[in-house]
Amino acid sequence: MAVPSAGVSQRLVNWARLKSPWVTLFNSGGCNACDIEVIACLMPRFDIERFGILVKGSPRHADIMIVTGHVTLKQASRLRRVWEQIPEPKYVIALGACGASGGVFHGLYHSVNSVDSVIPVDAFAVGCPPRPDEIINAVVTCLNLLKEDIAHGGKEWRQTNGIKNIKNTNEIREATL
Amino acid sequence: MIGPITLDFVKEKIQDIGTAEQVRSNRIRITTTPGHIRDAIKSVQELLSCDRLLTISAADNGKTLELIYHLTGPHRMIISLALELPRDAPEAPTTSDILPPSGIYERQIHDLFGILFQGRSDLKKIILNEDWPENEYPLRKDWTPAPDTFYGGIKGEKV
Amino acid sequence: MPEVIVPIGPHHPALKEPVNFKVIADGEKIIRLDLDLSYSHRGIEKAAEQRDFIRVLPLLERVCGICSHSHTTVFAKGIEELMQLEIPLRAQYVRTIIAELERMHSHLLWLGVAAHEIGFNTLFMWTWRDREAVQDTLEEMSGNRVHYGMNEVGGVRRDLTPEQVNAALARLPQLEERVKKYIDMVNNQKTLLVRFRGIGKLSKEEALKYGAVGPTARASGVDYDARRDDPYLVYADVPWNVVTDTNGDVYGRTRVRIGELMESIRIVRFCLENLPEGQIRVNAPKMHPKEKFFPAMKPPEGSWSISFVQMARTKLNGLIFVRRPLQTGLLLQCVLSIRIWPIYP
Repeated sequence: MAVPSAGVSQRLVNWARLKSPWVTLFNSGGCNACDIEVIACLMPRFDIERFGILVKGSPRHADIMIVTGHVTLKQASRLRRVWEQIPEPKYVIALGACGASGGVFHGLYHSVNSVDSVIPVDAFAVGCPPRPDEIINAVVTCLNLLKEDIAHGGKEWRQTNGIKNIKNTNEIREATL
Repeated sequence: MIGPITLDFVKEKIQDIGTAEQVRSNRIRITTTPGHIRDAIKSVQELLSCDRLLTISAADNGKTLELIYHLTGPHRMIISLALELPRDAPEAPTTSDILPPSGIYERQIHDLFGILFQGRSDLKKIILNEDWPENEYPLRKDWTPAPDTFYGGIKGEKV
Repeated sequence: MPEVIVPIGPHHPALKEPVNFKVIADGEKIIRLDLDLSYSHRGIEKAAEQRDFIRVLPLLERVCGICSHSHTTVFAKGIEELMQLEIPLRAQYVRTIIAELERMHSHLLWLGVAAHEIGFNTLFMWTWRDREAVQDTLEEMSGNRVHYGMNEVGGVRRDLTPEQVNAALARLPQLEERVKKYIDMVNNQKTLLVRFRGIGKLSKEEALKYGAVGPTARASGVDYDARRDDPYLVYADVPWNVVTDTNGDVYGRTRVRIGELMESIRIVRFCLENLPEGQIRVNAPKMHPKEKFFPAMKPPEGSWSISFVQMARTKLNGLIFVRRPLQTGLLLQCVLSIRIWPIYP
């Protein structure tokens, strides 16, 4: 799983990142339904904490940022600033129809139409709002991407292979074969 | 405690302020002018014992801008005070000193419609972002976003 | 004395929605509060004017994720009154059932989040686990856990089958027992009492003066409930009580919300047991009524209103001015948290 020349400490760090990714939430001005579904993931029914996924408040502690809601003009600059504070390697999941294209609010006067036009997004979760199962699926997709990135030594391989915005873990496996 | 609020009761109390009509079983609309609105609110508060402001709504009906104040009280009748303002210079006196919740609504309506509320010193932006250009009021019927203006958000390319 | 600005800012672990409270403090004492909203302004009013009223319904649902059904209900009600349409009784019952189920999930959510804010995570986990029962019911009835999409102009879109009704009725007794346990906990548990009592006290005069709505006002003794005082749907036919409290602090508001939870369970049970037969919708004409209108309704957080002016064919020619109780709530939050009138209005 590691690049051959990685030392023990690097392999340990990689293992910890894969086994227990920490997540931070960013609400970029939406209706809050996606936030509720993310918090429902933490609750006893879906319980992602047993996988080691913690929801942290600070972006500096996180591996994955989940952006919920539809990005308004006012939140766009704040979103960029918070994203810049997350240390590498970082991944971004955009939830729902609003994250992908603006949802029902596409084209309105106070909106930036997609999270993708502000920060680079690694995974989109489908739904309005996406069910907690879909959100867990998106996090697992990011973990698979993290594994591939470690094996290839960075993120550049994605551009050359033409992979962007992957929704499904099967697609990653097919693309890297 | 005053008597039950009926249309005739309201008409007799607010004779010199405006005209009243009953639009539904528990709504009475009083049409008045911007010059009289402060007196209208004070008399509605005292004579008709309305102690709550529900909301202030605004509309652009193509020709004029309308402003409606909705108040209610323990009698559960909703009294709506309606004003009409001209499009080119819409001004109305502020009511935030006699009716505290109206402060928020006045700021929002100013941002979205451009109605100036005189008598208060700070009509800062509240609902549009800080980079929004002046004198562009999005909820007016004749407004469309101009293609070259910067309305806020991120300048330049993304990373 | 130097003043420090403490931003409880747009991105904050305790906040679920972006809003910026700039608290200006002199040492430990708070002097002023500057409020910075507009992070969530999406321009829904303008969008609603440009679409015909059938397409406005999904848009209005997404104003708020927690109270989505209320917004569509009041909009549909307004259009139906303008067109003078009478919707069938079964449709009204279904709308009431979904509205009360939404109120239940909203109050359980609030209770959990309030407990989380004071660090009482056990109650957070328990209430949200019980909330899943309500979400399951809603999912069986409408297909989605949030944003149900049940309303349309003229009635409801989907019918309730007898299996769904029985499954919902079977979940209610356990929910009731859990809520009774929460009532007991709120009244007797020391941690909660210490953190909730005496905090954020709002007297009745202040509640009226600053325009408090919903459970916040009822906890300060203002006896106003739009379901009883401005009746719509079937609230006039179902036996239920308005819950008020005189404490006016966070404890009072918790008691009001839990009381409303019990009342909602009663209303849902009554409606499910007495669901009348009949159609679920009537066909709405595509004509254009021309009138001003102001329907009001009570979503879980307080009264909410839209005002239409004129319609032309199927498009709304006038404005829908959407007023969410969050605005008044924010002003009140300023008053409550620092006991000083902010420079805000």
